[in-house]
Amino acid sequence: MNRLLNKTLLYYSFFATVILLLSAPFIYWTMEKLYKDDVDEAILLRRDEFETNNRKSLHISDIPVWNQFNRDTRILPDTVKTSPKDSIIQQVFYDALVPEWEPYRVLYKDVAIEGKPFVLMIRLNLVESDDLIRTIVWIYIGILFVLLLVIFFITLFVSNRLWKPFYDTLHKIEQFNIELHNAPGFSHTKVTEFSQLNSRLTKLIQHSLQSYVTQKTFTQNASHELQTPLAVFQSKLDLLLQDNSLRKDQVIILHSLYESVSRLTRINKNLLLLAKIENNQFADVSSVRVNDIIKEVIPYFTEQAESKKLTIEMDFKNIISLNANKVLAEIMINNLLLNAIRHNIENGEIIIKLEANSLSIANTGAEKALDGHTVFERFRKNSTDARSSGLGLAIAKEICDRNSWEISYSFKASVHIFTIAF
Amino acid sequence: MKILIIEDEKELAENIATYLKGESYVCEFASTYHDAISKTGIYDYDCILLDLMLPDGDGLKILEALRKENKQDGVIIISAKDAIEDKITGLKLGADDYLPKPFHLSELGARIYSIIRRKHFGSTNSIQVNELNVDLLAKTVRVNNLLVQLTKKEFELLLFLLGNKNKTISTAALAEHLSGDMADMLDNYDFVYSHVKNLKKKLTEAGCKNYIKTTYGMGYKWEA
Repeated sequence: MNRLLNKTLLYYSFFATVILLLSAPFIYWTMEKLYKDDVDEAILLRRDEFETNNRKSLHISDIPVWNQFNRDTRILPDTVKTSPKDSIIQQVFYDALVPEWEPYRVLYKDVAIEGKPFVLMIRLNLVESDDLIRTIVWIYIGILFVLLLVIFFITLFVSNRLWKPFYDTLHKIEQFNIELHNAPGFSHTKVTEFSQLNSRLTKLIQHSLQSYVTQKTFTQNASHELQTPLAVFQSKLDLLLQDNSLRKDQVIILHSLYESVSRLTRINKNLLLLAKIENNQFADVSSVRVNDIIKEVIPYFTEQAESKKLTIEMDFKNIISLNANKVLAEIMINNLLLNAIRHNIENGEIIIKLEANSLSIANTGAEKALDGHTVFERFRKNSTDARSSGLGLAIAKEICDRNSWEISYSFKASVHIFTIAF
Repeated sequence: MKILIIEDEKELAENIATYLKGESYVCEFASTYHDAISKTGIYDYDCILLDLMLPDGDGLKILEALRKENKQDGVIIISAKDAIEDKITGLKLGADDYLPKPFHLSELGARIYSIIRRKHFGSTNSIQVNELNVDLLAKTVRVNNLLVQLTKKEFELLLFLLGNKNKTISTAALAEHLSGDMADMLDNYDFVYSHVKNLKKKLTEAGCKNYIKTTYGMGYKWEA
């Protein structure tokens, strides 16, 4: 990913280079054209000077002497048939002094001296001018380059300043966490677009926070409201149970009603628990030892484990002390243990391991890996066990997330492993 | 024994009353805060069942008023709000127990029984059922004066059964009672069966009559 500024500068540099490269020949050509025009003008001036000052007073006998002293304004015999006449052309002449072929601007013109036709040749060397032009072009390019460089840094500086509010906003949004309720306060900016962006974002965030709170309180209220009808339901069942005249088949119906109501109660309690965790109602934190919690809760599970003839193996390689809410830590471990028992097979095994900085609970079970992505989702049941609430692992995950612990699932050698990295 | 049920859900209040009626309990109702305040102001009750969320007031205020007047009525809070803070405030204000909704009537019965026994019999708190004697303070059980060794769970089970005499108790209620805080998580009640079996065996071996009856597929009953 490229930063906006880098991207701007990249484009800028690219186009600047192209402009620089394209402008160099253009500048050279313009300069040369200007200079040639200048030289041509000088030639025409000399021609006029010759016409007014020299031609009339010049004798044919003087021509050799004239030619001897005027290397660049010569009078050639009429036999020279250089075309075209009367217009300035470019020609190369061999200069014995340098010795080199050198470019000249040349004008051939028919003149009459003492009534006899001659050809006047006026020429001017371009060599000096070439050097000059080149020098000028280099200087020009140099200036252009420095200018571009300066503009580059100015852009860098200005952009950084201009986009500062934007980056500020961006940074604050990144910090925003809807669960923590820390609505970002954007700093004031005088730029219309940014101020618009900030006010829009503020509104959006307020909105999300509001619906988040509404949703959370809804869950909690709904669960609370359900408790009373559930209590009525349950008490009615308890009363019905007292009826001694119940037939066997009626008892069977009553039994399944009992199971349903206890499952409803469980789901409701777990939903309430989730809502409470999300509402940060377990805020008090203390030092908690994972080893102790496991040892405390294991006896509660042994009865459950015995009915399936499970063996529970504990392998504590380390003592893990956490800064967490004790109730939540217990709930998390309970849920994982219960999960390991519930989805276990007869004569199965549970291995609880405490490594340097992680807790893993492994259990035998179905010979098929679960979907590691969805296993922690609410009401995502991987088994057909009607008694599970479908929330146990979701609660464990929520507790891990709250405490920035990493919970993961893996399936190795027919064993389902849940690992929490603290 | 007089019991006041402060509960705005009439259906639930009546169910509780129906369940408790068989024993020597007399139930009265109060469905609003004001009703409750006036009733508790005039009469004394052996046990008050207190719902915290009443249409016209906070149930905790009733508790406060009771304790201010130095009334010693036993109070069990029954609340839909299973909030730890509520539980702590309630118990601090002098409630004797806290039972979150929904609950099993048998659980409520056992708790009422235990509170009334505590309030009335104080230091010499023991239950005598024919040849069976249960000392609630020493947590010992004797049959014809012979000590019977029970596990903690078996003792709890026995008390629970005695607290719901002649009532069928569902296995689920027993399981939840025996597993305490873990009750919400359990889904296998098989262990109840083995506890009941062991308790029965120990009592009958000590010469106690078999009072524990099994109701087909549903639960257990103490018949005496």
